[in-house]
Amino acid sequence: MVESVSVPLSVYRFDPGRDASPRYVDYRLDLPRHTPVLTALLKIRSEIDSSLSLRYSCRSAICGSCAMLINSKSRLACQTQVGPELDLHGRIVIDPMRNQPVLRDLVVDQRPFWQDYERILPHLVTDPRHPMPEGKPNPMTPEQVERFHETPRCIACGACYSACPAKEADPTFPGPMALAKLYRFVVDPRDGATRERLLRIQPGGLWTCLRCHLCTTSCPKDVQPSERIRDLKELAIREQGATEAGSRHAVGFKENLHDRGLLNEMRLVRQTDGVLGMLRQAPQGIRIAAKKPELLHKPRRIEGQEEVRRLYELLEDEEGGA
Amino acid sequence: MRLAYYPGCVAQESGKELDMATRWVARKLGIELVEFPKFSCCGSGFVDEANMVLNVALNARNLSFAEAAGLDLLTICSTCQGMLTLANRKLEEPAIRTRVDSALGQLGLHYSGTTKVKHLLQVLTESYPPEKLQPLVVRPLRGLKVGAFYGCHLLRPQGELPGEDGEDPHSFEDLLRALGAEPVMYRGRVMCCGFPILFVKEGTANRIAGRQIEDAAAHGAHAMATPCPLCHISLDSFQNHAAREVGHPLDMPIFHLPQLVGLALGATPEELGLARHLVDTEAALRRIGTVATPA
Ligand code: SF4
Ligand code: SF4
Ligand code: FES
Repeated sequence: MVESVSVPLSVYRFDPGRDASPRYVDYRLDLPRHTPVLTALLKIRSEIDSSLSLRYSCRSAICGSCAMLINSKSRLACQTQVGPELDLHGRIVIDPMRNQPVLRDLVVDQRPFWQDYERILPHLVTDPRHPMPEGKPNPMTPEQVERFHETPRCIACGACYSACPAKEADPTFPGPMALAKLYRFVVDPRDGATRERLLRIQPGGLWTCLRCHLCTTSCPKDVQPSERIRDLKELAIREQGATEAGSRHAVGFKENLHDRGLLNEMRLVRQTDGVLGMLRQAPQGIRIAAKKPELLHKPRRIEGQEEVRRLYELLEDEEGGA
Repeated sequence: MRLAYYPGCVAQESGKELDMATRWVARKLGIELVEFPKFSCCGSGFVDEANMVLNVALNARNLSFAEAAGLDLLTICSTCQGMLTLANRKLEEPAIRTRVDSALGQLGLHYSGTTKVKHLLQVLTESYPPEKLQPLVVRPLRGLKVGAFYGCHLLRPQGELPGEDGEDPHSFEDLLRALGAEPVMYRGRVMCCGFPILFVKEGTANRIAGRQIEDAAAHGAHAMATPCPLCHISLDSFQNHAAREVGHPLDMPIFHLPQLVGLALGATPEELGLARHLVDTEAALRRIGTVATPA
């Protein structure tokens, strides 16, 4: 007999048709520590309050239906056990996912998520120069398969989308899942639409990512969207040059280091924003430099700068990255 | 204790007060900071985006100097911590290892991958647990509610602060408690400060910073503290713009981690460079009796 623990749960409840505002309802259940949060919620629904709304199906981290906030983290409810959450927080607070409007209780309207997904052309666009062999298999080499990393494992649960602060602050950002999927097509040797996909996504897309890695820690399938977004950024610079403020900033930073080995903050702002942008920033710059005069000092250089330059010579033009 | 001191770019320029506070605390605790004028910038995540292998090589070069001296490396920036750790991890991939080894070899350098990279928070947590630190506290930060703000790269993508959960850490709060302060728990403590896009999409970046400050304030914080000078730029230097984006005034003093340690161990505000902040820290200092309350 597995020992049970007393589990306090605080569950977000909201029926926009009936309630003026959301509220939390507290429940207490006796459960073994390894009980999935989903099982706890279903127990509430069957034994305490049948009106609790939530999405689920497979109960085994396959269908991607049950993502929600568990103690503020975006997770699959069927994959998260109550014990470790109690250890960290002493209770379990459940909310619906973020970045999607609430329909009722823990059920969100996933339309924004799927609309962002549509933006990347989420289907194979065969390259006319390499037509698929008619009626024959089109095998990939192990090296080609490796380039996908874990992206094919995505179950479209939306946990990463819910966790993403860039999405939260800027609704035009497509979010981690769509970008991981974009990567998946870009490395697919059968696909011929890399250019178009990158052009579609780059303005306002790629470079809004904050590389906070919250998507990666939230993902139940180890898709690592933030790592693939990094790969896409390097690829976008290689394919299309520094065409955006974001890529100009990355490339400018790299040049800064080449010349001095250290960052020169003022010079970087000029490289990213241009002289006009710099002027726009001037009042703020003056305000900050009044407290931090080093900003106006002559840029310093490290000892052994020639070693850094040599590394650039050796590693800059080689093929690498994704 | 002797450590290779990796101050990073910002603490040598606009974030000089972080360097001042670190040196003060190290002196007080008897940590010897060994300097390496050959250290380059860690690439701050931007070089990684432009050329991953080059970024690993630059940091392998940095790490090789500490390795040759037989020292662990001390960082005082979440992003430096993340980038140097990333280099160690990437060097476990044979294809990357081969290219980096050969490039370093051409400079007459070698890095075998043994340098441990430790952020100041980790060094304090490991070597100065509460029972060792508390007796040194001469000015407990009693009455000060502090929102710890970790900075993404100290926590994620994986194990940057050993033993800590990437979204549910506690070592910073434990340290604050040992100093006598009252940590405030809020969602923003593990969120992004917006810095990576501060010069790319300023409004969005400011909005992100503003939300974390609001969140800390809503949970009763009198001040926030960060182990990352880039977070400090977003939260302190640009707090006026963050306020503009969230649509109401913000007045949240932002401390660098070693500044709070320094205050508790008896440093003066001058020694910690507090006058260099854009947001005045006086209200917070008054709470802990560092500056007198006006009569
Ligand atoms: S790393 Fe980028 S995509 Fe992932 S959660 Fe952070 S901002 Fe969003
Ligand atoms: S990337 Fe991971 S978290 Fe995001 S939708 Fe796919 S499986 Fe879910
Ligand atoms: S119920 Fe299918 S993933 Fe959780």
